[in-house]
Amino acid sequence: MNKNKSIVKTIEDREKLFIALYKSVFPAVVKYVSKMGGTFDEAKDIFQDALVAWYEKAALDGFVLRSDEKAYLFGISKNLWLKKHRQNTQHVPLDGFDIEGEEQATLSDSKILNFLQTAGKKCMELLRSFYYDELPLNDIAETYGFSGVRSATVQKYKCLEKVRETVKEKSLTYEDFLA
Amino acid sequence: MRLSEPGDALVFEAGLLLEPGLKDKMLWQQKTYGIIRQYGRTALKQEIENVHQKLFTEEHHQSFRQKIMRLFSKK
Repeated sequence: MNKNKSIVKTIEDREKLFIALYKSVFPAVVKYVSKMGGTFDEAKDIFQDALVAWYEKAALDGFVLRSDEKAYLFGISKNLWLKKHRQNTQHVPLDGFDIEGEEQATLSDSKILNFLQTAGKKCMELLRSFYYDELPLNDIAETYGFSGVRSATVQKYKCLEKVRETVKEKSLTYEDFLA
Repeated sequence: MRLSEPGDALVFEAGLLLEPGLKDKMLWQQKTYGIIRQYGRTALKQEIENVHQKLFTEEHHQSFRQKIMRLFSKK
């Protein structure tokens, strides 16, 4: 696959991808969870957590999809279920897909995030595309309507500085408030 | 997340020794990357939930819904 052209540039691309993965993999997850005595809501939670873990790994790999992608996603779902419901202390290796083990947001971080989700949405969306979705710069430039990669890069650095200053300012404010 | 080249990291460490304010900036930068990551993950989770709602409410996905419900009724 051509790494320079991402298959998930926009929210619409991601929707198509998730619909396809839901249709092809969720039934198998439902079957497994049902067999293990779980409910529909448990199957939904496990599968959605698996989708997040899968997406984050796929983004690092530039969305170069494997031939056994569906089996891979099912495997993540199954391992997340096993980890959640393990009966003994036996370690269940998760190959880095344990999103529950990630650092928990502090109250201050949640407040900053809430602020940035509205006041800084435009910058956060651009930074998300670069640092979280790991999209190539030329795709970001095209999606956001920049004249080119250089223009997108300049805006990225401006946004990063703006958000960093906001994070610092709000962190110090909230820490004073919570102290 | 994308990381620097090893040579760049060495130059950066030297910079930290020469400019104390740089360390402070670096710490806030790291915190900012964490916030961006949380933002991305929160937004992604919402997109996934929206897809779930579409599949389980929209008319043209009815056959998929029925398939799923049949799997739960087979015990």
